[in-house]
Amino acid sequence: MSGAVAIGVDVGSTTCKVVAVDAAGRIVAHRVEPTDPRIEPQVDRLLEAVRAEAGPDAPVGATGYGRKRVRAGRALTEITCHARGAFARVGCPGVLVDMGGQDTKVIRIGAAGEVLDFAMNDKCAAGTGRFLEVILGRLRVPLAEVAEQVARAARAVPVSSTCTVFAESEVISLVASGEPLEGIAKGLHQALASRVAALVRSAAGGGEVFMSGGVALNTAMVAALGEALRRPVRVLPEPQLVGALGAALSCAAVHLA
Amino acid sequence: MSPSLARRARYELAGRVAGPLLVSLEAWQRRLRRRGRPREGPFGPPLESVRKLKELMTLHYFQGRYADGAVPVAWVTSGFPVEILRPLGFHAVYPENHAAMCGVQRIVPGLSDAVEAQGYSRDLCSYARTDLGSVATGRTPAGRLPRPDLLACCTNICQTVLYWYRALADHFRVPLVLVDTPYVYGEAKPHHLAYVRDQLEELVCVAERVSGRRVEPQALVEATRKAKEGTDLWAECLATAKQRPAPWTGIDGFFHMAPIVALRGTEACNAYYRLLRDELRDRVRRGIGGVREEKHRLLWDNLPIWFAVREVSTLLAERGFNFVCTSYTNAWAEAGSRIDPANPIGSAARAYTHIILNQDLPNRLGILRRLAREYAVEGAVLHSDRSCKPYSIGQVDLKERLAAELGIRVLLLEADHGDPRAWAPEQGENRLTAFMESFG
Amino acid sequence: MPLEALANHGPVVVSSGTELVTRREHIAAQREAHGRLAVAVLPIHYPKEILTALDLLAVELWGPPGAPRGEAAGRLQSYVCALARNALAFLASGGADAVDGVLFPHTCDSIQGLATLAKDFGGWGKTSFTFLHPKGPDRSSARSFVEAEMRSLARELEAFSGHVLEPARLDRAIRLHREIDAHRAALLDGRARLPQGDPELYALLRRGEWLWPEDHLDEIRAARASLRDRPVQRGVPVLVSGYVPEPAAMLEVLDRAGAYVAADDYAAVGRRVVRRADADGPAPGASDDPWARLVDLYFAAPPCSTRSADPAARVRHLEALLDRSGARGVVLHVLKFCEPELFDVPILRRALAAWNVPVLVLEGELEAELSGQAVTRIEAFVEMLS
Repeated sequence: MSGAVAIGVDVGSTTCKVVAVDAAGRIVAHRVEPTDPRIEPQVDRLLEAVRAEAGPDAPVGATGYGRKRVRAGRALTEITCHARGAFARVGCPGVLVDMGGQDTKVIRIGAAGEVLDFAMNDKCAAGTGRFLEVILGRLRVPLAEVAEQVARAARAVPVSSTCTVFAESEVISLVASGEPLEGIAKGLHQALASRVAALVRSAAGGGEVFMSGGVALNTAMVAALGEALRRPVRVLPEPQLVGALGAALSCAAVHLA
Repeated sequence: MSPSLARRARYELAGRVAGPLLVSLEAWQRRLRRRGRPREGPFGPPLESVRKLKELMTLHYFQGRYADGAVPVAWVTSGFPVEILRPLGFHAVYPENHAAMCGVQRIVPGLSDAVEAQGYSRDLCSYARTDLGSVATGRTPAGRLPRPDLLACCTNICQTVLYWYRALADHFRVPLVLVDTPYVYGEAKPHHLAYVRDQLEELVCVAERVSGRRVEPQALVEATRKAKEGTDLWAECLATAKQRPAPWTGIDGFFHMAPIVALRGTEACNAYYRLLRDELRDRVRRGIGGVREEKHRLLWDNLPIWFAVREVSTLLAERGFNFVCTSYTNAWAEAGSRIDPANPIGSAARAYTHIILNQDLPNRLGILRRLAREYAVEGAVLHSDRSCKPYSIGQVDLKERLAAELGIRVLLLEADHGDPRAWAPEQGENRLTAFMESFG
Repeated sequence: MPLEALANHGPVVVSSGTELVTRREHIAAQREAHGRLAVAVLPIHYPKEILTALDLLAVELWGPPGAPRGEAAGRLQSYVCALARNALAFLASGGADAVDGVLFPHTCDSIQGLATLAKDFGGWGKTSFTFLHPKGPDRSSARSFVEAEMRSLARELEAFSGHVLEPARLDRAIRLHREIDAHRAALLDGRARLPQGDPELYALLRRGEWLWPEDHLDEIRAARASLRDRPVQRGVPVLVSGYVPEPAAMLEVLDRAGAYVAADDYAAVGRRVVRRADADGPAPGASDDPWARLVDLYFAAPPCSTRSADPAARVRHLEALLDRSGARGVVLHVLKFCEPELFDVPILRRALAAWNVPVLVLEGELEAELSGQAVTRIEAFVEMLS
């Protein structure tokens, strides 16, 4: 049994992540599951599983949209926790782009890991992972294969609608008029990347760009974002766990103090 | 400010020699390219005058490139009483006209992105975002816009122009003259008109200081006379569309409106409209229509959808629909009725306060009703322009009242005048098609 | 939930009574006991002194919050700001049956349109009044216009109320509102020394939007007595700038996150308070002629985008507020689709960035409840400042 000193829970709107860290800040156990609308029983079950692996006594820090429903010692926003988790991974200032299922955050992180500024996407889905999920789902392109498809595309077919629902009908028309699926997929990624790039610009700042969140596992999206920003984008290891990691580290810091 | 003689000479050369040469060259090249291609499509033969229109506007923008330091430059809102600036030799630039050009060329999103990065909301007027974006990036389809020495703003079209021109004043660090026209609920009160007159007099002082000249009363009378004549001539052009078939399309009207806005008070503007009027009257005599087969006549309310103007026009023309009148083009015909060269300042106060957008909804309904009757329309499209609150507020009620009072079909169409990101083409064209189908 | 209950603030105890009264009950009581007619007033700025002098109860209409209800809900397009949309829905659905007339200040294009829509196409029969603001920098034409416009409104209100506006009456009303302002200024400037939380303080300040001024004066004066002699607020001090603190839950979120509003630039609150120190010339309200005093007061008010204040003046004003309060961050609480405020945002942000002051731009739609995202943003901002 490894000695977990704290557990972080990130209850996102799409997935629920639980992470246990040891005294050196390393992840010693974790779970990821699609979020159940009944959050409390799910979190209890996940905590039990992680505690069984990593140690029963560790205190819990919570973050994410469902954080207030977790019986935790400390609840912090996902902004603070993602900054914390990202800084623990890279140890230097920069801009973190976190793309989750239903929201996108940009956080400017300072030299001491502090939050300097942040921006979140507007209420609409078109700037989030949901945009790709809905439309690619309609095209029956599995998310796991899309990066390969995009890499094959000779050119991007532009998708101009700024609304997910309208983009869906636009894409249907494009397919009907014979445009190649790869090109459309590439166009979709470019459209999303340009919206995220606008968000990055609104939080300003130079420095390195890091990426976290489930969408960071999509290499086509990482490449598209890099092109839109004209800067290299570095994907953090275990990108989905960054928020939960930050929650665990914040909790650990409080308990050690 | 005293312009250098060399720059002034170059400005005049550009206007009188180089510009016209360049424009003729371009026109000759275009004719060469078009030779041999058959005319097709649902429209009637194109207007000959359009060539002259292009020359006139190209020349205006071309000459503008040499205006810096040569003559005083003013950036002016479309509703501003520009005749007051004409005697002072200002070269007038119209950011709205420029933004419309950017809209047609579909370059607004890039310009808007530049100012959105500065923190401007995308919900703000697309003309403002286009203009501020052009200033921020230096990008313009007009080659180069001259820097303003003076900003001239009149709130009769909306309050937004004031916030927009303030941002310009902040950027260029030049004086801003404002004519704040109180909104007319019913009748303009005497102290409202007095306020406008006071402001006109205040602005003359500032304009004189900036230009280094004085307004000669006779020159002001002359500029006012020309402005009135221009609006009267424009009204005559519009009136030809009362005939069946209308000799031109509503879209033609939107484009040919440029001189009365941007060149009002000049002889070039008036000469152009005489030419256009004569051609339109000739087409009426010969029964030539703007649309090849005119089946249904419509009214358009609000600004055009600049970036989709050809698509919309073609979609309608293919089924024999034509916009024979619009409240937007009509606004410049109405203004003339109150302008009086014998009383330039007093009549300007009255005329510019009574622009359609500065008056209440019953007045607007009255204008739409009158246009609908005079031009014998069977339907109306009210463009619910996201960017233009003064024009769009009340349209839901206007739609119901027009339909009920006149027994015509009315469509409320949501779009924007400049930003294509606010328009869903499939959905929009579907609505228009369904509307047309409802005519049977 | 009945519409009138939503139109800000729940029942309160009015100082002249002992029972809880709702806004509607207060309006009725004023009519029954004092013969005072009520005038609903659209946002934002208007010469309240004239209404008070003519014994008219001004009842400000900031919403109600939430989606517009009733048949009139669709009469204004969805890209028009919530303030105008909700107000129209409220007026047209009988929400204003309790009042006798409506005053529309010419705040912006949307309120301008609302005024003609409600009055001319509204389908409801109360008397309408308008008040136009001069839209431009200090010019002598602006001064004479404001005075003429005030006198014109006064004449119309005289006919409506059945009273004559003698100079002595106007003078008394001006003094009353100056006294209220003095107490409000003391409360806002001494915020750190007040033990009350923001929700409680703002509920008090906002009752001035509809209480008969003498009743409001009593409670404001009483609140001033609770000012301590040293700072008692422990939370993170922030400056909030915007139109109106709606939804009221926003203040609770700030409070729970560990912050408080140390400096107020809300149009409904701070931007109406004329302080003696603000005026360049003689102290506001010092001239003998009450009309001249009224005009002086108009121009001495803090800068507001809806009175077309120069953005540079707004920047200077924010700078002074930051200095005085020691606020560590600024929340720009803007209303979606609001042109006057949104055009100022980039200029304010630039100035604040130059001073290294963190900014949170919170875009609201006068919603009934704050979205989870908005709550997160506020909490994250406070965490950032802590």
